[in-house]
Amino acid sequence: MAYSDGKMRQVLKNIFSLEDRPRSERIGFIIFIVIILVFPWVVETSYARAVMIKFLLFALFGLGWNLIGGYGGQVDLGQAKNVGFGAYATALMMVWWKVPFWITILPGMAFATAESFAVAYPMFRLRGHYFAIATLCVALVWKELFVFWDWTGGARGVEIPIRPTPDFAYMQFGSPIYYHYFIFLLFIAQLLFMNWFRKSKLGYQLQAIRDNEEAAASLGINVTNTKVITYCITAALGAMGGSFMAAYYLYIDPDFVMPLDLSILIAMTVMVGGAGSMWGPILGAAILIPLDMYLGAWLGAEKRLGIDYMIYALIMMFIAAREPKGIWGVFERMRKRR
Amino acid sequence: MLLEVRNLVKEFGGVVANADISLEIERGMTVGLIGPNGAGKTTLFNCIAGYYKPTGGKVFFERKEITGWPAHRVAKIGIARTFQGMKIMPNLTVEENVMVGAFCRTRDRQIARKKAQEILEMLDLSQEINIYPTELPVATQKRIELGRALATHPQLLMLDEIAAGLNPIETKEIIQILKRMKAERDLTLFLTEHVMEFVMAISEVVTVMAAGRKIAEGSPKEVAKQEKVIEAYLGERYAKG
Amino acid sequence: MRYVSSMAHGDKLCCSFLYSEAIGPEMELVTQLVLYGILMGLIFALIALGLSLIFGVMNIVNFAHGEFMMVGMYMAYILSFYLHLDPLIALPIAAAAGYLLGVMSYHFLVHHILRGPMVAQLFGTFGLMLFLRYLAMFIFTPDVRSISKGILVGKTISLGWLTFDVSKFVAAGLSLLLFALIYMMINRTKLGRALKATSLDAEAAQYMGIDTKKMNALAWGIGGATVGIAGALLAHFYYVTPTVGMLFTLIAFATVALGGFGSIVGAFLAGIIIGLIMVVSGQYVSELKFTFIYIVYFLVVVFRPRGLFGW
Repeated sequence: MAYSDGKMRQVLKNIFSLEDRPRSERIGFIIFIVIILVFPWVVETSYARAVMIKFLLFALFGLGWNLIGGYGGQVDLGQAKNVGFGAYATALMMVWWKVPFWITILPGMAFATAESFAVAYPMFRLRGHYFAIATLCVALVWKELFVFWDWTGGARGVEIPIRPTPDFAYMQFGSPIYYHYFIFLLFIAQLLFMNWFRKSKLGYQLQAIRDNEEAAASLGINVTNTKVITYCITAALGAMGGSFMAAYYLYIDPDFVMPLDLSILIAMTVMVGGAGSMWGPILGAAILIPLDMYLGAWLGAEKRLGIDYMIYALIMMFIAAREPKGIWGVFERMRKRR
Repeated sequence: MLLEVRNLVKEFGGVVANADISLEIERGMTVGLIGPNGAGKTTLFNCIAGYYKPTGGKVFFERKEITGWPAHRVAKIGIARTFQGMKIMPNLTVEENVMVGAFCRTRDRQIARKKAQEILEMLDLSQEINIYPTELPVATQKRIELGRALATHPQLLMLDEIAAGLNPIETKEIIQILKRMKAERDLTLFLTEHVMEFVMAISEVVTVMAAGRKIAEGSPKEVAKQEKVIEAYLGERYAKG
Repeated sequence: MRYVSSMAHGDKLCCSFLYSEAIGPEMELVTQLVLYGILMGLIFALIALGLSLIFGVMNIVNFAHGEFMMVGMYMAYILSFYLHLDPLIALPIAAAAGYLLGVMSYHFLVHHILRGPMVAQLFGTFGLMLFLRYLAMFIFTPDVRSISKGILVGKTISLGWLTFDVSKFVAAGLSLLLFALIYMMINRTKLGRALKATSLDAEAAQYMGIDTKKMNALAWGIGGATVGIAGALLAHFYYVTPTVGMLFTLIAFATVALGGFGSIVGAFLAGIIIGLIMVVSGQYVSELKFTFIYIVYFLVVVFRPRGLFGW
């Protein structure tokens, strides 16, 4: 047996346990989970349900991005390409070969990982701004390629035909309640992964790199390899979210699943919520997504475009000047003062 | 022989920072490296520890050639180092800082944590385990950095001006800690310093560098008397008189 | 003869030209493309100038650079569409607005993040970029606008078989002029030398009595002004949208990277090269004409980070 019984228990503990977090957080988290679980039964408005699904989706995106952007400290502004890879893999496989959803997730993640591996080594010669711009460039190149290529549908995109009956194989359902638990499942999976990750050797080494690369190297850490691995994991996680998007929205095109604005949004929610913390991405999404969706409805479709992002941008500039740890950082500082 | 440096040369563009440096460190020794500013001490350190690639010469560790190896490989093979001007990890707690060092030798978080706690206890830092290092005084941070390096289970520990900025009491504390560590862990020390009391008190052999070259070597007493050494620090006038 | 081209995505570059017996049609196409490339290149260079200056003086990269340019574009648009004035008048206004925007950005934001961690610096100018981008989207909606009336708008000149837009020509000419002015200012005036000193070693400059804070603000001001002018000029022939900023920030980045961060001469030459690259790739695969610029940035920055003239 590769793992003794104790080892297995240890791994499971690392995945599921929050015992290193203060009690208030654990309680808060449980309340959060309960709210999400009962939400679709309590709230029946389809708009609210859609907001909740979008929130969970972006919390999921944020969790993935948080690995390289938060714990790794490498600001990646090209995550949308990975979302696109996942979305297109799912959409194309469903349309061409009628492959069931859960199988389509894998090629998407695999491609995202492989592509990221290929670009990561040259890119990680760069740091800071230059790295960020490089990630931007790579993502833009991919998006323009997808628009250019006819075989992926070009600018027209890919439409997934609606099935006559609800289906667990293709994850198509009549009621939004199913989608809610669907995305919630994926969200929890990534959350558990992140819980494991932050306690793992990789997680510690990554944070060491973020805080001081040279010192990290002196402790036996292969800086480049660690960054590359993390970047690839983030890519795979992003692709998973992209696959969901295809299954949920049933129509994808490059401007929807791979645009610059999506990369920006993902990075932005995590940075404002608190990059490098466990709850930051969730917090960020919890504020921005409802703000975005409801402010829009309230101000009317024309005017709303931008106000929420403007507010967010102001918060971001303020955070840059005062508290790089984001809203969660502010919260932790307040908590310490007591 | 633990560490051997043979005819090491390091050039930066036109500037020769290290010219033909050779030295040997036996297991269990404490070797001090001194010299005026700009002598090339930290450059030598960086060449050995894998931060610079030497332009010429070779470095051997336990008779294996490690010339030009990258820093992380050098660490894995048993050479740890601390840095001039600290490189503590500000967003990790004291315990987590040391755990990162421990992770060099294990994958297991429990083991890493236990190791870290052991080391922190030895360094008298058990109270500060969950505090962030930036909230602690500089002298304490140096101890944390020391602990972190120790957690990698090194055979050779290279200390780059660890006594810099410490007051005499703190310096004495560090000396005590180093002596204790040496005894308990079969450690070999190679340190570079400006604080003379520190270096002379703890070293068995002192090597002197000036202007990129090695100019003297011997026991602290011998070296302090040498004309060349005094000249390097204070100029010709004092050497003669 | 109408020059039926714009830089918009998806449009193919097509030009009509007079035949001359002495030069074959291929040669004519090549010279036309080269001319177009140089003109656009000079404009790119002008856009990149501000970025290079700011980076040279304080080693910070302005993510919002393209947005400063966008402000200039909207100034021209407002003048033309709402005030019915010639957009050319926007030039000094855009310069002033750009200068103000730069200086204010410095004082209220950049100054406070300069000493912080790099991530904070990135957040900071990134946030500024987002703010301006979405502010524009809020005020003007994402609709694409363009200027249709003006002394320079929509006019072309032909010399033999070569045709070009008057607006692009004037923009390129102004770019040359501004480059010359800035170059002379940096190298010949006392103020310029102070700027240079600050860029080489800010601390030492302070000891010499140079007010580095003022120098930094000045760099941001000049950077904003030059790119604001570029925007006002660009609006004469390019679409005005709130999202235009990012594209030009990236082009500016590619240009500065190629030319070497901090080098004015580098930005000038690299701009021309990038312009030529865009035009040539646009001729063959028009949908990917910007794609090649992104690739250039990536390759330069990974394989030759110093660029052509940088340090």
